Amino acid sequence: MPDDLNWAIGGEAGDGIDSTGKIFAQALSRAGRHVFTSKDFASRIRGGYTAYKVRTGAEPVESVVDRLDILIALTERTIEENMDELHEGSFIIYDDERSTMRDVEIPDEMIGLPVPLKRLAEEAGGAIMRNVVALGAACEVAGFPIENLDEALEKRFGSKGQAIVENNETAARLGREYVEEEFDYDYPYELICTDEDYVLLNGDQAIGMGAIAAGCRFYAGYPITPATEVMEYLTGRIEQFGGTVVQAEDELAAINLALGGARAGARSMTATSGPGIDLMTETFGLVATSETPLVIVDVMRSGPSTGMPTKQEQGDLNMLLHGGHGEVPRFVLAPTTVAECFHKTIEAFNLAEKYQIPVYLTSDLSLAVTEQTYPPEEFDMDEVEVERGKVVDEESIADWQNENEQFQPHFPTADGVSPRAFPGTSGGAHMTTGLEHDALGRRTEDPEVRVEQVDKRDRKVDTARERENFDYREFGNPEADTLVISWGSNEGAMTEALTLLEDDGYDVRFISVPYIFPRPDLSEEIDASETTIVVECNANGPFADLIEHDTLTRVERINKYTGVRFKADELAAEVKDVLAETGEVAQ
Amino acid sequence: MSAFSAIGEEEEIESEDFTPGTEPQPTWCPGCGDFGVLKALKQAMPEVGRSPEETLLVTGIGCSGKLSSYFESYGYHSIHGRSLPVARAAKLANPELEVIAAGGDGDGYGIGGNHFIHTARENHDMTYIVFNNEIFGLTKGQTSPTSPKGHKSKTQPHGSAKSPLRPLSLSLAAGSSYVARTAAVNPNQAKEIITEAIEHDGFAHVDFLTQCPTWNKDAKHYVPYTDVQDSDEYDFDVTDRREAGQMMYEVESKLYEGEVLTGRFYRDDPRPSYSEEKQAIGEMPDQPVAEQYFDEDHQWDRSYDELLDLHK
Repeated sequence: MPDDLNWAIGGEAGDGIDSTGKIFAQALSRAGRHVFTSKDFASRIRGGYTAYKVRTGAEPVESVVDRLDILIALTERTIEENMDELHEGSFIIYDDERSTMRDVEIPDEMIGLPVPLKRLAEEAGGAIMRNVVALGAACEVAGFPIENLDEALEKRFGSKGQAIVENNETAARLGREYVEEEFDYDYPYELICTDEDYVLLNGDQAIGMGAIAAGCRFYAGYPITPATEVMEYLTGRIEQFGGTVVQAEDELAAINLALGGARAGARSMTATSGPGIDLMTETFGLVATSETPLVIVDVMRSGPSTGMPTKQEQGDLNMLLHGGHGEVPRFVLAPTTVAECFHKTIEAFNLAEKYQIPVYLTSDLSLAVTEQTYPPEEFDMDEVEVERGKVVDEESIADWQNENEQFQPHFPTADGVSPRAFPGTSGGAHMTTGLEHDALGRRTEDPEVRVEQVDKRDRKVDTARERENFDYREFGNPEADTLVISWGSNEGAMTEALTLLEDDGYDVRFISVPYIFPRPDLSEEIDASETTIVVECNANGPFADLIEHDTLTRVERINKYTGVRFKADELAAEVKDVLAETGEVAQ
Repeated sequence: MSAFSAIGEEEEIESEDFTPGTEPQPTWCPGCGDFGVLKALKQAMPEVGRSPEETLLVTGIGCSGKLSSYFESYGYHSIHGRSLPVARAAKLANPELEVIAAGGDGDGYGIGGNHFIHTARENHDMTYIVFNNEIFGLTKGQTSPTSPKGHKSKTQPHGSAKSPLRPLSLSLAAGSSYVARTAAVNPNQAKEIITEAIEHDGFAHVDFLTQCPTWNKDAKHYVPYTDVQDSDEYDFDVTDRREAGQMMYEVESKLYEGEVLTGRFYRDDPRPSYSEEKQAIGEMPDQPVAEQYFDEDHQWDRSYDELLDLHK
């Protein structure tokens, strides 16, 4: 019996799709199963197709659903939208007593399970519980013991009182029993439960948790899809750790607030998406030239302009690397998985403070909406080190004063990093400005000082290259002739594609890069390969351009800009196509 | 040891402490009203008893923005229109700092207008000084948000078609809990008002009339001036929003008729500041955020497990 299962619930926005899906995902996680979730949704509160998809296995799962075994369809459109993923023998649970679903035709090769969701929900205490009835029905099909739902229902409805929880438990059981009694199919699934104790979280939450673990105690933001959940996560939690969240009037204010918090001495962060970065780019230059440590999160979505706000894209790379007038260094980090969102956030804070530089941390919509299970040890917060860099106090400040006892916040040190004194430090009074400035922070247009300060700021990048390990993650066969490179969230789909390629006799090396700047030099790796393919979720391949620029070698490209992330099977097929075109069929 | 060793230290504070060690040659024009702001601020500081090292002055862009170059303190010269969010966040992160923001009328009422409205609305405990010279000085005399209707400049050769912005009324409507107007030509009142503004617990907005002799008007255009509190002609209650609003409207209109009215126009002392409001609902810790990093007893790892438990 297969232990892997792909499950989805779909309907109209406002149908409670998200919370129902989450209950199922949580139940699976609590039962010691790995989960990887994804969402199809539109930018509206009600109306329009939306779906919550869960892939579950006893082993870790790293990629989205590419076939659907069980679909709860609250609308006919849900079936139409998922025809590509439904297959022979897929089970479709639907309410045939619902007026809009009465005439639904289930394709011949699939199995329809008409369940009177609303009627059974009313029996349990209210029509509002029809999705939970469907969950119960799905449990029967999936071979997943219904008791596992109870804890998740308690978590979801506990605040509404025990009676509501019990009604929901009854509703789930009515759904399960109905399927058991009314249908006589041979369900080929049996979801094995384990004693493992997993945590379930998405990329935005992992960034928020990473920020708290890293000692971030000041957050300013303005709501924007798909970054809002970072702020929602921190609100109510960061306070328990002595921090605060400020909702700004706009993104211009958000980054300036974060900047003010950082100047005053707090570890500070803001998060937004591309349109917010557009606005924040104004202040980015000030942050960089005043050498203020700041973490700026860009959860990318499809652009340009308002673009497709609820769709996936990795289109902001060049803006993050080059945005803003003039020349000033910044670091750009791109976590490749949900867990890496946590780890890279912590790293971003340390890099920001050690080098007194703005750090862009860029994830994307796929990471933001994907909930994934991990063992709790993955997020070991006792291991986190907070490195604040060259912060001076009353005693050490004398080392950084000039002959007139003036503090020198932009002293051109050998490593490019100057001392930092927070307002309130004795002996540290100084000014800083977005104007070009001297070591004291006073404006200057002196050509020698100008060159000295530009060089000093650039030198921080050289220092970081020497001291840090801007490395990549590697998968597959390191000796393979075919090299696939990607950045950011494509890692999961590509690692699964590797398995599919391997099954078909293709030998592939895969390098997943979490550092955009400074980034690893891939010259040797590319020299050693016959064919290099760069995979990214955008139209023009900005990362492929960077690789070509770095290595003076042309690469092949796989780009997707439909607004939907890569799937493993589709990536495997595309890699095969590229190899066929370039004559490098590896079989 | 706290990094904030200067805060709360007992010391004699003198006006001259706020003159930078190596004093840069001011680039303000002779006769510029901006000198009046600098002087008033330097004189106010000993009155409020805060030292340069306890003070953060955040400025915007324009002639006014140069204030931080000529005033000894922690200074942050930000970009055009953005001084307020930088300043108010610094105050939130370290409430023990004395935080002052300053900028011009273009900076505060034009490009930074949204921040002005929202900082007032939130009533941050800080002082905001707007150098109101009714013109863009540094870029050589273009029409600004407070330039009078019909004002001719290179950007408005036929005279401005816009009525000037009413900064005091806007401030009141937005939520400032202290609103005053003073003028560079009246140094005694300026010092008193700046002192009051700094001492005020909440967002104190001072519209500071600074003559621009190069592009606009010289000092004599602001003379005579009237202090409404000293005048028998004006009788209103500064704590009454409606009366204050009426008075402001009159003051704003009269400026463009050549009558300079200054003074305190509104104050709402009981109104809690944003930090107080946030603390009251548990959204902000009692211990200053910035201090925690230097507090050896601070429990960084407290309840990280609870954080993870939320995801189970």
